[in-house]
Amino acid sequence: MRFIIRRLGLFLLTLWAALSINFFIPRLMPGNEATAMLSHFKGINPAALHALEVEFGVNNNENLLVSYVQYLGNCLTGQFGLDSARVPVMTVILRGLPWTLGLVGVTTVIAFSLGTLLGIVSAWRRGGALDSLLSPLLFILTTFPVFFVALLLLFIFGVALGWFPLSSNYSVGEAPSLSVGFISDVIDHAILPGLTLVVTAAGGWIYTMRNNMVSTLSEDYVRMARAKGLSPWRIMLDYSARNAILPNLTGFAMQLGFILGGSILVEYTFSYPGLGYLFFTGTTNHDLPLQEALFLFYTLAVLLCVLVADFATAWLDPRTRDA
Amino acid sequence: MRRSKLPKLVIAISVLVAACSGSSATAAPSGGGGGGANTGQVSGKLVIDNESGSTWTCQFNPYNPSVSLTSVGFVYEPLEFVNALQTNSDGSNKVTPWLATDSSWNSAYTTLTFTIRSGVKWSDGQPFSANDVVYTFNALKGDAAIDTNALWDANGGPLTSVALQGTDKVVFTFSGAAQTYFYYVADQTPIVPQHIWSSEDQTKLETFTDTAPIGTGPYTMSNCTDNNIKYLANASYWQSQPGKPVPQIAEVDYPAFLSNDPANLQLAQGQAQWGAQYIPNIDSFYVAKDPANRHYWFPATLNVSIFPNLEDPLLSNQAVRQAMALAINRPEVSQRGESGYEPAANQTGIVLPTYQSWYDKTLDTTAFDVAKAGQTLEAAGFTKGTDGIYKDASGKRLSFTIKTISGYTDWDSSVQVIQQELKTAGIEISNIIDEDSGTYTTDLQGGSFQLAYGEETGGPLPYYELRQMLLSSNIGSTNYSRYKNSDTDALFNKYPSSSAADQMSVIHQIETVMATYVPVIPVCEGVDWYQYDTTSIGGWPTKDNAYALPAVWALPDNGVVLTHLYPTK
Amino acid sequence: MASPQVFLPGTRTEAVDQGYRDAAGRLSRAILRNRKASIGLLLLAVIVFVAAFPGLLAPGDPQAAIYDQQLGPSWSHLLGTTQVGQDVFTQLIWGTRLTLLITVSVGALCTLISVLVGVTAAYVGGAVDGSLSLLTDIFLIIPTLPLLIVLSTYLEGSGTFAIIAVLVLTGWAFGARQLRAQGLSLRTRDFLEAARVRGERRPYIILVEILPNMLSLVVASFLGSAVYTVATAAGLQFLGLGNSGEITWGTMLHFAQQNGAIESGNAFWALAPGAAVALLGTAFALLNYAFDEIANPALRSVRRRRAKSDS
Repeated sequence: MRFIIRRLGLFLLTLWAALSINFFIPRLMPGNEATAMLSHFKGINPAALHALEVEFGVNNNENLLVSYVQYLGNCLTGQFGLDSARVPVMTVILRGLPWTLGLVGVTTVIAFSLGTLLGIVSAWRRGGALDSLLSPLLFILTTFPVFFVALLLLFIFGVALGWFPLSSNYSVGEAPSLSVGFISDVIDHAILPGLTLVVTAAGGWIYTMRNNMVSTLSEDYVRMARAKGLSPWRIMLDYSARNAILPNLTGFAMQLGFILGGSILVEYTFSYPGLGYLFFTGTTNHDLPLQEALFLFYTLAVLLCVLVADFATAWLDPRTRDA
Repeated sequence: MRRSKLPKLVIAISVLVAACSGSSATAAPSGGGGGGANTGQVSGKLVIDNESGSTWTCQFNPYNPSVSLTSVGFVYEPLEFVNALQTNSDGSNKVTPWLATDSSWNSAYTTLTFTIRSGVKWSDGQPFSANDVVYTFNALKGDAAIDTNALWDANGGPLTSVALQGTDKVVFTFSGAAQTYFYYVADQTPIVPQHIWSSEDQTKLETFTDTAPIGTGPYTMSNCTDNNIKYLANASYWQSQPGKPVPQIAEVDYPAFLSNDPANLQLAQGQAQWGAQYIPNIDSFYVAKDPANRHYWFPATLNVSIFPNLEDPLLSNQAVRQAMALAINRPEVSQRGESGYEPAANQTGIVLPTYQSWYDKTLDTTAFDVAKAGQTLEAAGFTKGTDGIYKDASGKRLSFTIKTISGYTDWDSSVQVIQQELKTAGIEISNIIDEDSGTYTTDLQGGSFQLAYGEETGGPLPYYELRQMLLSSNIGSTNYSRYKNSDTDALFNKYPSSSAADQMSVIHQIETVMATYVPVIPVCEGVDWYQYDTTSIGGWPTKDNAYALPAVWALPDNGVVLTHLYPTK
Repeated sequence: MASPQVFLPGTRTEAVDQGYRDAAGRLSRAILRNRKASIGLLLLAVIVFVAAFPGLLAPGDPQAAIYDQQLGPSWSHLLGTTQVGQDVFTQLIWGTRLTLLITVSVGALCTLISVLVGVTAAYVGGAVDGSLSLLTDIFLIIPTLPLLIVLSTYLEGSGTFAIIAVLVLTGWAFGARQLRAQGLSLRTRDFLEAARVRGERRPYIILVEILPNMLSLVVASFLGSAVYTVATAAGLQFLGLGNSGEITWGTMLHFAQQNGAIESGNAFWALAPGAAVALLGTAFALLNYAFDEIANPALRSVRRRRAKSDS
């Protein structure tokens, strides 16, 4: 119980910290935030500017503390207002969400399963062909910057071989539907961005899973199991992997932050209209409501995963509960 | 080189008063082929290709600058069309009547009367009338946020009333001579239907989403998704005549492109006919794939300039600015920074060849000459230091920072070339500072910069841009250099009440100011990006038939183009 | 400097030196014996050499726009030219310097903060540990790249310093947590207990007794930060959030991408700086990987030296 309360406390504190950073940085930096946001009304007359400032709720000469409290309230109740194109921020986010969720969700599952599996096999056959070749290779690939892998795949499979489209989420002029044609078009467009994320994420899983397995394999209970003559499969999966996967679950949350970050670069490189692309354009255009909402989204996504991973670990491994 | 292309929403600065000759045009719009064929058929499909930078929001409020490029020209139309690319013999713009059939000024240029066209229908079948015009302008009065050109006196403009006269005339009354406002009133204010708009909150019209726009224009919005807008020909468009339908292209698709590359690819593959793209290596990437049908034309309407901050102790020295103007090889910057697509500018500030008739070659004295730049500096008491950079008597080096807008990579490239050139001439650019457009604008308006690379919004004649640059009351808004000279101010204030010939002389005197005092250093000319494919569609604006600005985002010129296009297959 | 209250005999400084010398010696021997470390070190040495003497490999001004524009690779332009007519190869070589400078500065500063925060938290304990650990946890959880993008857009135009500052701000936490953990485990060791009993002061204990024992972790922390910095800095610059007036591999990538280098047959302009970033990242990662193995020999993969009959 104390564990849960403490983790919840950390959760709330982090959330508060992220929200505050998000609030104060744009407002304390040089450059008038209102003009920044309304920059594409450049040269607008002062009366019109003032009317827009009131409408967007920026630079209204209110006490910073008052706006801060209001801002926190709005974030908690999900009222993010309108973006600079006057579309409700929630609408914009809901429009981008499925694409990012699809891309990041599917690739994370693939990368996690693939990475964990290869890690298990690699540790089990320590020094085998797979271990000495694949693991370091994939590990080095992990250190490749996400955008470099993206550019490389874009060049090889998009430009040189022409197998996959270079950008966007589906073909120009296609109408979204549940038809086979449209879905395969969407998958076609998602393969290169997805592959980029899998390639850059899987190596990390392999690496940690292998190391965890190596440790558990030398534990007494595994030796005991071996001595008892249990089948290697059972030892590998039931005894060793089951315990080795625990730290990987915690890592999962960390990894999610990494993948979400990577998705920004991938969506940018492939002009993929998900949340990452929205966040990047929103932030660089100083579209404050959009930036605030998406930053909150990213923080919440990571926090929730940390929390779930924490509780899962606590449930699977009672020892951590007292930690 | 992915300069973002926002709709060309033209901006008047709060205290903009003055005039340019108004029109009393009587010609009918030249739609239905623009001198080209009217096939009598409505068929075919036009695909537009423009990097929009985001997916479509499916809002069509013409007074929301983020979305107006998808509604103005297609659905909403102005009273008259002012062609920035064609001038009459006296230098004034050619004007084509649109929803008004005629307009006239009183002799003092304080009252402007439009005669409103009869027989026009809104796309929902309701009749269009002079009441809609009166409503539209008064709506701007009631909601400052949509009076973006500051027409009304309450918002700093000269307009005091807009009233119906008889049944088909609308009278605009101004507090002073307001001829230059003709452009903003007639061309830049799209007319909206009173029967729809009056039921919205009149103080918050900028928030109206207008998802099913009803207009008088050549097209109606038929279907909108995140990544495509489909328009269909307005079967009851007012320019149609029996046997001569307008528009002649049955369907227009306007896909959303998040970035340049996919948009360019779409054009290169021949899947779009009307492009508004910056395309690197356009000849090999685009034209060469079908030279008979693929063309491009980049008409210039603006200057892209270096703005020196005249409040900087070194830059306030005329010799320094002259030396810089002499040391920059403009054609080289144009070639390397802009692939030659944006032509080199000249020191008079007159954009060529577009405004040739306003240009006085004898005044254009600043040609590229590094040796002369050095002499100018030495004559003014500067000496070259051991590092090759000039310094003044107190030892202050001619070293400056320059601000530009992040993401405008062609400007970054141009500035890098300028940096190299100035270095040869003994002037250092120590740092290129990329700022987001908001911070950049704030800094330029507030004077917190040394040099800045940028452009004004301009207007249909040189007067508008020069006035934005040099009028002292524009310090804090568009007079980035902070140039202050009462004689120059007097010239600008004289322009509105002048005859066409006198207006010409006023602009020539301002060209002299530009060439002598070098308050701004024009480097390249800003252009409309424009590609067109004649495989299935004809009637395009061309260099020889510049009937409108050809960029997709030039509003309402896009509507004029749409009425000229016809299927060739 | 000897103050009245503290007596610092010479032997103590010697002890400090000796402690570090032993630790450093153990490390360097371990590095030279480890194949991954050797490769990483070699790669790094080459890159450092290029950064130190770019003029040897590519004489000429990397900014000079004096060639034809957007040329493909040829003998006179190994990697082609840029949109304004600069030589890509020359830019790649000269770009090494600032790229490496940013990486090493951020790595060093991150490590410094990690050590300060981590060791202080572990050694002082109590409420100080509580608040420092909380701070560390918060910085660990807040998604890094979004935070970096927000910070960078508002610091635009402040140049290289800004990018170093934001990377340090977002990059120190991981190392701090690891160092704290090891610090905690050291705290209860006998030799520290002995030092305390001897009445040594805290700075002495931290400098002489704790840090030498954490040296490999400090180095690993530096390497980890460097791996993170290489990719992240280049990523930010790739997005256009760096200083476009300065040449780094990241800004080269930005210009290449913005000019459609990959799509329009000038792929090397983008792929070469990308590969350089990857190579630098790999060099640091190999060293880091090797360090893990040195610290934890159980992880080392067993080389296949078994008899052929075995297979």
